[in-house]
Amino acid sequence: MSDFAGMEELLQDFLLESTELLSDVDNKLVELEKRPNDRALLNDIFRGFHTIKGGAGFLNVAPMVTICHRTENLFDKLRNSELGLSSELMDVILDATGAVRDMFTVLSQGLPPPNPDPAMLAALDAALAGNLAAVKAPAAAPVAPVVQAPAPAPTPAVNSNEPNWEALHQAVTGTEQAAAAVNVPTAAPVDMAAAATMVVESAPAELIPVAQAPAAVVPAAPKPQNKPAPSTGGSISGQENTIRIDTVRLDQVLNLSGEIGLTKNRLTTLRTEILQGNMETNTLRSLDEAISQLDLLVSDLQNAVMKTRMQPIGRLFQKYPRLARDLARQLGKEVELVITGEETELDKTMIEDLNDPLVHLVRNAVDHGVESADERIAMGKKPQSLIELTAEQVGDHIVIEITDDGKGMNPEVLRRKAIAKGLIDAETANSLDEKQCLQLIFLPGFSTKDQISSVSGRGVGMDVVRTNIQKLNGRIDINSIQGEGTRISISLPLTLAILPVLVVRACNQPFAVPLAMVREIIPIDTTAIQEVSGRPTIVVRDEILPLKTLSGLLNWQPTQKPNFGVLMQSAEKSFILAVDSFVGRDDVVIKPLQNIRPKGVAGATLSGDGSVVLVLDMEDLLAGQMDSSANGSIMLRNADNFSY
Amino acid sequence: MADKNLRFLVVDDFSTMRRIVRNLLKELGFTNVDEAEDGQVALHKLKTQHFDFIVSDWNMPNMTGIELLRAVRADAQLKHLPFLMITAEAKRENIIEAATAGASGYIVKPFTAATLEEKMNKIFQNLNK
Repeated sequence: MSDFAGMEELLQDFLLESTELLSDVDNKLVELEKRPNDRALLNDIFRGFHTIKGGAGFLNVAPMVTICHRTENLFDKLRNSELGLSSELMDVILDATGAVRDMFTVLSQGLPPPNPDPAMLAALDAALAGNLAAVKAPAAAPVAPVVQAPAPAPTPAVNSNEPNWEALHQAVTGTEQAAAAVNVPTAAPVDMAAAATMVVESAPAELIPVAQAPAAVVPAAPKPQNKPAPSTGGSISGQENTIRIDTVRLDQVLNLSGEIGLTKNRLTTLRTEILQGNMETNTLRSLDEAISQLDLLVSDLQNAVMKTRMQPIGRLFQKYPRLARDLARQLGKEVELVITGEETELDKTMIEDLNDPLVHLVRNAVDHGVESADERIAMGKKPQSLIELTAEQVGDHIVIEITDDGKGMNPEVLRRKAIAKGLIDAETANSLDEKQCLQLIFLPGFSTKDQISSVSGRGVGMDVVRTNIQKLNGRIDINSIQGEGTRISISLPLTLAILPVLVVRACNQPFAVPLAMVREIIPIDTTAIQEVSGRPTIVVRDEILPLKTLSGLLNWQPTQKPNFGVLMQSAEKSFILAVDSFVGRDDVVIKPLQNIRPKGVAGATLSGDGSVVLVLDMEDLLAGQMDSSANGSIMLRNADNFSY
Repeated sequence: MADKNLRFLVVDDFSTMRRIVRNLLKELGFTNVDEAEDGQVALHKLKTQHFDFIVSDWNMPNMTGIELLRAVRADAQLKHLPFLMITAEAKRENIIEAATAGASGYIVKPFTAATLEEKMNKIFQNLNK
């Protein structure tokens, strides 16, 4: 085998591309269960395994070649109608797919994958031979666990004599090259015997020694990944640190940085002129133009760079139909997972961090959300339940929804459960409305099932889901109608890299609050402030909203009476944040603070005049307020419990 | 040995594989390589740009390697181009099909730079006959 320069990179590429391919195959397998005779599907799956096999062969991953080869042959027979698809056969295929996926995991850790499970190979072989039932007997015929070279079983054995392509080629086409295009009919006198004994550089001889020394591939892989981690968010799972970018997008970045370079040159020239005392109107006008242009170019560049990080969420979604299918089968339910909006694009980091929460939600929907076929029939529903997973861009947010048509949640049951588990006291519980009761499932330690199922019932789930979503500056919302189903919506900002903020002033200092939470800005008329249960509130369009001063939340001494109120809204509650004045809106890049972590401060950024602006974390700020406020009424505590 | 400036078109739907083939060609000294992800893209490139040698995978979506081969052989401008078919299929009927369609050579994955070179040399010899 030849040594490739950059083998480890090839391996990375291969893993990235093959993993995608395999997910696609997985989905097509789920589809195939519904339409077992769909030739296009069979062809696609065949090609998937075939392609993975090809790549694995070059990378000397013999065990993977072995599995893929057999599976591919199986699909060859299926697409040629030599075999029919049965549920036993499907299980064998899914097992093989799982085994290949496991090997990807092992490979990505830089280890050689183990030899395939002999029982699985035996099952594949039996399936190929068309007598799967025989192997299903407990004692699977022991198969030597030796790595099998990919000698295609169903084809006539290829022996390793002299390759004889030329002989064949000439026999077929005639010696004249020019005739090749035309002379198809001459194919008739092909020497079939010659063809049969011909070797076409098939690999057996080369693969076996390699298989015995799988270490050959490996040393390249465990090389430390010291590519710079993206600067956004700290919660990057260090799994994928390569990204595939449409060259058009990359070219855009290149063009813009070129343009910025030109504008910079223009500015340098202008500076020299101005420093030399040239203050003519024309010079100053040119300066103004150059700066305006730079302004535009930089924001375009920011957008273009952000776009390079955008990936279709379909890459994530495509894993779930298989997940839902397997789980549903395990639980004896009939579930169809319908996905829409997979082309919606989201920051790559977020896509990775969304996986765990979404897996949890999909599992929850299958396990807790939908009923068994019998229960559904008894309720007059279709036996097959429907779970929809959708993504769409709404303004500058991405909204992901997972909807089931199951039994829905009973707020009363949730309320009682929360009390029984001591998560909230009865008094608090009784003041919750139905919607707030649903929010109880996000409390740590809450699980609605008395018996812990192996699937999704350890009670570590929903609070972790919510925490993860919040880490991404997202919100999670829950809607449920008893008997009709549950919808969970996740709303996320397009990117974590740039945060649109409103810059306000309090205590003679600027602060930035996330613009996503700002609903409107109102002047504060002191006569409009009313005390409700000891707390100041203002009525805005018939809505009673608590008034909280920013200085109060920060526990700072106010320097003046607040003039303006920012109507802040998160999913469940709204309040008015009283501030001294405004600076304006801005798009900022948050820099985390080193070593210190003041309460309610997410980080800092620089304003246009070069001064430091603290970016507020409203969540944290409100939580802090709850701890320190002496008059925390029940209403207030509720609000904080269910804050986002 | 052939001119190192020959322009190659590597056709495969799997980008890792294109890279592998590109690397192998580079080992042999051929650096003038372009890529296409399926037969359709390849055919478009072949019709709009100049190439000297086609290395194509067989199994691809949209337009397979054998379809590309037939299209190339049916095109007056392109039919003279050397066409090396790459595939994982070592089946006799596949080989015959490729030969019938006018492939200049046939190579089975996985292969080494040496094998590739040998195949290519044979193709060049045939060209010069």
